Amino acid sequence: MSYLTIANVSATYGAMTILDGIELSIGQGEMHILLGPSGCGKTTLLRSIAGLTAPSGGEIRLGDRRIDNLPPKERGIAMVFQHYALFPNMTVRQNLAFGLEQKRLSRAEVARKVDATLAMVALEQRADMRPHQLSGGQRQRVALARALVLEPALLLLDEPLSALDAQIRKRLRDELKRIQRESGLTSILVTHDQDEALTLGDRVSVMNAGRIAQTGTPREIYHRPDSLFVAGFIGDGNLLTPDEIERLTGIRTSGSAIIQPQDLRFESVNGATATMAPAPDGEIHVQGVVTDVSLSGPTIRYLVEAKGLTLKVEAPNRYDSAELSTGTTVRLALRKGDIHVVPN
Amino acid sequence: MRMRLLALPLIVAFAVLILWPLSSVVIDSFDAKGEVSFGNYTEVLSSAYYQQSFITTLWISALTTVIGIVFGILLAIALRARGRGVRRFALAFGSMGANFAGVPLAMAIIILFGMNGFFTILVGKLGLPGAFNVYSIIGLTIAYCYFQIALATLLLTPAFDAVPVEIEEAASLMGVSSARFWARIGVPMLARQIVAIAILLFANAMGTFATTFALTGTSVNVVTVAISSLVSGDIFSDPNLANAISLLLLIVLLVPIIASQIIAGEKRLGKDPSAGPQR
Repeated sequence: MSYLTIANVSATYGAMTILDGIELSIGQGEMHILLGPSGCGKTTLLRSIAGLTAPSGGEIRLGDRRIDNLPPKERGIAMVFQHYALFPNMTVRQNLAFGLEQKRLSRAEVARKVDATLAMVALEQRADMRPHQLSGGQRQRVALARALVLEPALLLLDEPLSALDAQIRKRLRDELKRIQRESGLTSILVTHDQDEALTLGDRVSVMNAGRIAQTGTPREIYHRPDSLFVAGFIGDGNLLTPDEIERLTGIRTSGSAIIQPQDLRFESVNGATATMAPAPDGEIHVQGVVTDVSLSGPTIRYLVEAKGLTLKVEAPNRYDSAELSTGTTVRLALRKGDIHVVPN
Repeated sequence: MRMRLLALPLIVAFAVLILWPLSSVVIDSFDAKGEVSFGNYTEVLSSAYYQQSFITTLWISALTTVIGIVFGILLAIALRARGRGVRRFALAFGSMGANFAGVPLAMAIIILFGMNGFFTILVGKLGLPGAFNVYSIIGLTIAYCYFQIALATLLLTPAFDAVPVEIEEAASLMGVSSARFWARIGVPMLARQIVAIAILLFANAMGTFATTFALTGTSVNVVTVAISSLVSGDIFSDPNLANAISLLLLIVLLVPIIASQIIAGEKRLGKDPSAGPQR
């Protein structure tokens, strides 16, 4: 059942259309990701939900209330900003308590809630420090705690991890996921980082030019992109035209298709013959030559020249497995089912 | 070495324009009727007249500084939410106001509030109370406020612009009203800049002479007028006593400046709270 419903929401800025009839529904407890390149309208959509930007049309419902005509403070929505937006003159504890005091809770109640939330983000030790005494990661945890302590109906996160460096970003990403799962808080996170989107999201909406291009689970988005834009934006797959597919595999497809680099496997190295036709078990074999090798953490990325096409191929990076050098002749295997035709 | 020579004109200008006059003021201030002594200082400090002039000046300066800062803050907050056109107009107007001092300002005030001023006559014709003597401390306060508010607005606006919008939005989502946001977060965040601007305003008021002299002549006893009448007075002239008063005025100005530097220095030990990656 839909908890947050966005119906036909549009936004314009001068003559520019920022949001173009957005339709989206999000279930209770879901972590929904808005993913897209900069300027696609994802932040505007988030701000429209929060009430910080007024959309020019459409309807937003949260639970059984229509919220798009309410002022921000009456929507019961909390937001975490990219640059933390902590109150610099207040301690961590005061930052958390400020919103609660606004709700006229008793002092004991405020203290209890603040302590419980600080424990959730493991910042009890830092309660009396000011934001400038904290690291970026700690600041963002305070910002998260400040949002959580208000027990909002919906949590919005605007690129919460982009200002942090890689290591801390990864750690905070896991922590964010844990906290979101534990609290069961319906959340929408905006990001331009597809890794972040795929790891964190229960569902992901890929946005482009003010529209939602596709909404689906991370698996669907990754393996079954339903447009060329999504196919090009997600992952780093081999996006091939029907002619190229035919040249490579002998199969004629109805449209462009994507082959993920890890679905291309090295079957034999040097001296093996290539079969052009699909093998009986649905496997296709292609001969090629390695033209480039690069190491990227857990995988090794190869560029393989085959039938005049340059293919990206990914293999697990294991210490004991031999790395292929450039110039090596290889035979690649591909299952027919791993050629995903992108509907146009 | 060559490069250092480039600083020579600056050093010469500093020496000729600041060090030389200042040292002559200091040296001459200890010259009481031909003898080297503290005579001028004891005279100033024991004279009820000069004490009164310092008290009057401090009082007007402090009051107009507070008025300037309060209005400046309100205007800076109001301007923050306005479009660029309005802001540019307001700031251009403010910089005009900040520099509209001296005789023209005194004349403007006299034309509006003087004995035959527009408002004085208007108020009289309508039979309303509220007429006042513009050639008094009240008149002087109004005149000072004119440039104090303008200067405060001019200086405070960029400081308030530097408060990240996100912080304001975060507060508004929590249900914090705009007034409460500025009282509890915005203004405290900018406390250091506000203090620095207040000191500038205070010094500005303490040193005002032309406006004061043109409006009230010698009838309101402020320090700069007292100095001027000692230097160019036709009844009795004592430039060295004027030097001593000038130096005391300088000390009065240095106290808040040094105090604020110390406070700022202590805060900076922990790292600048208003800095940080808040854009």
